[in-house]
Amino acid sequence: MIGNVIKYEQDNIDTDVIIPGTYLKIHDYNELATHAMEGIDPDFPSKVKEGDFIVAGKNFGCGSSREHAPIALSTCGIKAVIATSFARIFYRNSVDGAFLLPIEIDDITYQKISNSDQLEVNIEKNEIKNLTKNEVYSMKPFSEIIAKIIAAGGLFKYKK
Amino acid sequence: MTETLFEKIWNSHVVVERENEPSLIYIDRHLVHEVTSPQAFDGLRLNNRKVRRPDLTIATIDHNVPTTDRSLPMIDETSSTQIKTLEQNCKDFGIKLFGINDPNQGIVHVIGPQLGITLPGSTIVCGDSHTSTQGAFGAFAFGIGTSEVEHTLATQTLWLEKPKTFEILANGQRKNSFAVTSKDIILSIIKKIGTDGGTGHVLEYRGNAISDLSMEQRMTICNMSIEAGSRAGLIAPDSKTFDYINNREYTPENYDNLVDTWKENLMSDPNSKFDKSFTINVEKIEPQVSWGTNPAMVSDVTGTIPTPEDYGKNNEIQVESAKKALAYMNLEPETPIVEIPIDRVFIGSCTNARLEDLKDAAEIVKGKKVNSNVNAMVVPGSQMVKHEAEKLGLDKIFKDANFEWRESGCSMCLGMNPDILKPGERCASTSNRNFEGRQGSGGRTHLVSPVMAAASAISGHFVDVREWC
Repeated sequence: MIGNVIKYEQDNIDTDVIIPGTYLKIHDYNELATHAMEGIDPDFPSKVKEGDFIVAGKNFGCGSSREHAPIALSTCGIKAVIATSFARIFYRNSVDGAFLLPIEIDDITYQKISNSDQLEVNIEKNEIKNLTKNEVYSMKPFSEIIAKIIAAGGLFKYKK
Repeated sequence: MTETLFEKIWNSHVVVERENEPSLIYIDRHLVHEVTSPQAFDGLRLNNRKVRRPDLTIATIDHNVPTTDRSLPMIDETSSTQIKTLEQNCKDFGIKLFGINDPNQGIVHVIGPQLGITLPGSTIVCGDSHTSTQGAFGAFAFGIGTSEVEHTLATQTLWLEKPKTFEILANGQRKNSFAVTSKDIILSIIKKIGTDGGTGHVLEYRGNAISDLSMEQRMTICNMSIEAGSRAGLIAPDSKTFDYINNREYTPENYDNLVDTWKENLMSDPNSKFDKSFTINVEKIEPQVSWGTNPAMVSDVTGTIPTPEDYGKNNEIQVESAKKALAYMNLEPETPIVEIPIDRVFIGSCTNARLEDLKDAAEIVKGKKVNSNVNAMVVPGSQMVKHEAEKLGLDKIFKDANFEWRESGCSMCLGMNPDILKPGERCASTSNRNFEGRQGSGGRTHLVSPVMAAASAISGHFVDVREWC
């Protein structure tokens, strides 16, 4: 996976800014995507490109259980959110529906990655290459359980 | 081997457990609402699946219902469609629905307990993070996403990683147990352990300061467990728990026998080991007011808005997040909390809209008038709460004071229905999240208890509510 970084230097990016409550009535994924990150960055849907990564601080996706949050990001083209930690419901929702990969990194890696950097993410090697800066970082491996759900392509395909 | 309460509930619900695999857990009750369920039902249809246990599945409509006169047609077409979709889904799949005009309609986490559906020792899920509320009954109750809603509908089970355990020990006596509420206890805990302090853990609240609380106060505590990032919150059941559930509409017939079993089993064994532990003495807790944009950004009412440097200590990200929060909230560091004027008051939500909450708020409001600069509303947590409050004349107390008295629902807690803040409006709210835009784009939320919200409505600014009672 190769893509460019959209970085938010913030902790606690919550589900209400990822997709504000008023849009939870929308069933159409494409329409939902036009409101992604509206609470924090209204320009996000126009600037995001297929394959991009979001990079952020700790506790990404805290708050509501709305699966609309990973769906909105994924429909915009986001393939992975790379953060120092995740709120667990967002984490599970991302993996359960195979919407995007929630990738955990340490604080030093977080500091090293800049907005617009081009990254190559390799989950088999647990490795992130920064193609812009010519650096290589390690990501926290998925637990065996999560890795199996990801490999299966989501919760319903797991143990089918 | 000793076991915690959580481990006992978990072990009694394991269907499949293998090393390095998720565990398959049986789900006793599945509550469903209109927002997180449509895609799940679509998924069932697409794969020709049925709901495995419609008898264990209960639905209501709470998130986007209007709280104004329900005999009028709904203005918002998309909300109306979402509600009709749930009605059709419940009909097609044979699920009991407490619909918009049902006397049992209400916020899903309020109606479970008041109908006797929420039972100690059970596993309860709902596509809603505040399902943790029902942990107050000694149930493992947790929020799930829509894929998991579909999985539960289809199989009555879920694949889960076993969470770790976290003991929250609360001791001591509150100095003024009317003005210092369980809301102030849980906000104080989140202030200390942080918005991710409980990540991957189930919190068990223990100690005399917890057993002293009523069931409704305990629900406020467990409700906000998710704001500390936890999977769920739990309180071991006791006689207050058993009395609360007794003689409700759905209380099981063999209730006395169940109580005997629960009394024997549903507690953490003496000396059982928790993965983490945190102790708090409630004696020193003051009424709390949140000042920022997450539920850990909280101050004593006698305090001041912190400087970003004081708040963040030496952590640059924290300093920046406080700066950003203060800019959003339009607050200056070192402003005394009691000098912050408010525009709106919202008494409602699954955190604080049960009968006791309304009774306590009414006690403060009685014979007084809402400040002329403030627009205040009360949204009961359920139609049953509304009805009981009206029997006690609470509606009259609120209306005489110029509060609006509404129909039940989630309302201004998350701004999905027309009850929203205008940009820039500042609200004293008894809800659970003060995130940016949560109560309406540009709206500013201060989380407080019902008595603090009531006193602030009268004064037009935050006050030390201990001086009022």
